[in-house]
Amino acid sequence: MIDRVLETARGKVDGADALWRREEQTAVSFESGRLKAAGISEEAGVNLRVLAGGRVGVAGTTAAKPEPVELVARARSSAELGEVVELAFPQAPGSQLPPIPTFFDRTANASLAELIRMGRLLVERLSRPDCQVNVAVQREVADTAVGNTAGARGEYRATGIAVTADITRIAGDDVLMVYDQYIGADMPSDADLEALVQSVETRLTAALNIVTPPDGALPVVFTPAGLAAVVLPLEQALSGKTVLQGSSPLAGKVGELLFDERLSIVDDPLTPGRPASRPVDDECVPSRSTGLVERGVVGRFVYDLETAARAKTQSTGNGRRGVFGKPHIGYTNILFRGNDGAHGGHTAGLGGGLLGDIDDGLIIDDLIGVGQGNVISGAFSHPVGLAYRVQRGEITGRVKDAAVAGNAYDLLKRIGGFGSDGRWLGARWSPSLLLEGVSVARR
Amino acid sequence: MKDRLAAAVKQSRADYTEIRVERTWSSAVAFRGRRLETATVSEDQGGFVRVLNKGCGWGIASFTSLDELPAMVTRANELSRAVRVDDPIRLAETPPQSADAILELDGDVRGVPLAEKKKLLDRYNGAMLAVSSAIVDTQASYRDEVSEVWYVNSDGTSLYQLRPEVVVSGTAIGRRNGNIEKGLESIGLRKGWNSVQNFEQQFRVVAQRAVDLLDAPRVRGGAYPVILDNELAGVFIHEAFGHLSEADFVYENPQAREMMTLGRRFGKPVLNVGDNGAAQGLRGTLPYDDEGTPTQDTPLIKEGILVGRLHSRETAAKLGERPTGNARAISFRHAPIVRMTNTYIAPGTKGVGFNDLIGDIKLGVYACGAFGGQTMLESFSFTAGWGYMIRDGKVAELVKDVVLAGNLFQTLDRIDHIAGDFTWNQMGGGCGKGGQFPLPVTEGAPHVRIEEALIGGDV
Repeated sequence: MIDRVLETARGKVDGADALWRREEQTAVSFESGRLKAAGISEEAGVNLRVLAGGRVGVAGTTAAKPEPVELVARARSSAELGEVVELAFPQAPGSQLPPIPTFFDRTANASLAELIRMGRLLVERLSRPDCQVNVAVQREVADTAVGNTAGARGEYRATGIAVTADITRIAGDDVLMVYDQYIGADMPSDADLEALVQSVETRLTAALNIVTPPDGALPVVFTPAGLAAVVLPLEQALSGKTVLQGSSPLAGKVGELLFDERLSIVDDPLTPGRPASRPVDDECVPSRSTGLVERGVVGRFVYDLETAARAKTQSTGNGRRGVFGKPHIGYTNILFRGNDGAHGGHTAGLGGGLLGDIDDGLIIDDLIGVGQGNVISGAFSHPVGLAYRVQRGEITGRVKDAAVAGNAYDLLKRIGGFGSDGRWLGARWSPSLLLEGVSVARR
Repeated sequence: MKDRLAAAVKQSRADYTEIRVERTWSSAVAFRGRRLETATVSEDQGGFVRVLNKGCGWGIASFTSLDELPAMVTRANELSRAVRVDDPIRLAETPPQSADAILELDGDVRGVPLAEKKKLLDRYNGAMLAVSSAIVDTQASYRDEVSEVWYVNSDGTSLYQLRPEVVVSGTAIGRRNGNIEKGLESIGLRKGWNSVQNFEQQFRVVAQRAVDLLDAPRVRGGAYPVILDNELAGVFIHEAFGHLSEADFVYENPQAREMMTLGRRFGKPVLNVGDNGAAQGLRGTLPYDDEGTPTQDTPLIKEGILVGRLHSRETAAKLGERPTGNARAISFRHAPIVRMTNTYIAPGTKGVGFNDLIGDIKLGVYACGAFGGQTMLESFSFTAGWGYMIRDGKVAELVKDVVLAGNLFQTLDRIDHIAGDFTWNQMGGGCGKGGQFPLPVTEGAPHVRIEEALIGGDV
């Protein structure tokens, strides 16, 4: 498909690149412990970008039989309004694309009955009186082809499976929601599903007792799920786009020690078995990993082709595009690591072994409204969704009606400890982090 | 197209079949700083089939290739039959509907050259950038669409709907040394080109606010009397209460049903809340929902008492209530689920204004504008765009990072005054639920006073 589109574009424009993607999803859902629905979705589309008169234009379509002439014409009229960009499409790489497994037969061939069996197993394991269990299993198979008029091509098949489980427990006016997920390119093993069950059970059991929240500037353990509010500002600030725009607080700080010396952050599209892994990005740039923060020092920002051209640097292979709109910067797999040997492996307990020295503080597993404030400034302030009080090194119960606030850049300057509970959560890997001096307000 | 869908429904072997086909024409322009990001025209199209069989669950298929329609009806039926259920799924009866519902286009966006749209957005973006050299970055976007939706089901409903939408929004980012602040303006309407003209002043105001916030202190955390402006009060009722009134939360959960028993008191007698998908010309307005049920004005809280909830045909049947026209899907890629439309806090006494609410507050917060909100049902968050301290009955200094931490039962019950100055807030963006975002919704409210609410921040 993209060959036809690129062939049509050749001669009519200075250059072009295109992405074709076809996705098939199969999903089953259990509501309140009962199998409720099964569904499939099939979608295919083409995204075309052209350079015409030095200007960039894009067009996309989900039409079943896209008409290349029409698509190129639409991209050209988009380019008439576009900005001048010195975009250079990558040429065919001298060597092979990195051999990264993205396709797993077991996932692609799993039958509907197999997906239902997995969901049912989770429902059975998680069911308990007065709790409602919802489980969803979703499997995806995607074919991607990218190419450009400079001769580069990339093609791969990928699989993904997401198994999510949530429990809602309502007792009087108390609503408790506990959630976890398995996301991978390969099917979950029995041990993976067991870990999911354990994770939900541990959170639920520790939450049954409700205690008064503390207040003041306190030590707080952010679990991998609870860390979102702290990592989101960094993800925005490490994007080459915000750096170019002058809105990133990390702009101009490459090489400076701004974070705890044990903290490293990597964007890695080559991690085996992750759905976000890929041999080539959506702009035909071969994948490689990028050190964003290395031992506390700001390393590299991530770029796509256009922002790299504007910043006079190279794309880091972080181009991402959908069927509509133009390519933009996107992270692949993002890994937060401590360099003191704490590299996960599962510890069953909440808090990743970081609770021992806490006299009075919190474990944050979920915050409400993450991403809705002035994120890039680093300032966050959120009510707790799921949080536990820690007193003299032990969890004493769940806290409600409390809000935590702080500044991500300040808090990450000195990390009290990296947990031994490192894990994947979607496309992010991290352990729990103990951060000191987080503001906790209560009514 | 209706005939094609009707034929496919007729051939279906399932007990119940519905088919929705959408064709959406859209154009989009975006600026980042002074640079144009994109200016594009797109067409998206696809179909959705959902079927039900006795003793079985839902079978669902969505697809972009319409040639596959008959095959997809067959696939959906196979999927339904693979899902055996003990507790049968029933759909509440609704009279079959047959109509062509064409919403007013108010300047058909399909007839306006893309260059004109770029020019308009350039003006608004330029208005933000011109405010101050401290505005280092902006994000401005224009997006319009005209969506054609065909819907046919085996109960005899056959509909064609034409739904326009236009959204203009801008974020101004101010920076001074290490400080970064933002101001956000967003206008979203279920209308067309004529309705998004002459908003320069609004964009100037938000850019100026981003600059002003650079010098503002963070609000101190703690419990305060809080007055919400119209916009934030709207977001508040959507998050705090609206999501709990969606019947899919309670219909299979006895404990939730008990918590949300009709007749239960949720607030003081000043509080009246509803959801009105039939209101004229709003972004959440639809003549029919995505199950073909006509929309309506549904009272949810009357004088502080819970009186209603929002339904799909399935949740209504389960609870023995009537469908309310709130089954909505963001596109053919999704099944309809219970959603809000235009949710409102009804105005209080006529003539009662902001000044009547503030007079007896010694120390409090006036929380304004909305960056967003999120609920975990009992607990919720809503993030103000900015705020002012209230000192001795008067509006005092500007403060930033105002985020309210709410608890459904405590916060609603602490609303003690509602002004008469009701407005609908026609914002862009939208609501997210069950992986479906952004769904166009509108919120409306007057100024609202909460006796005491928790605000996060340094303590």
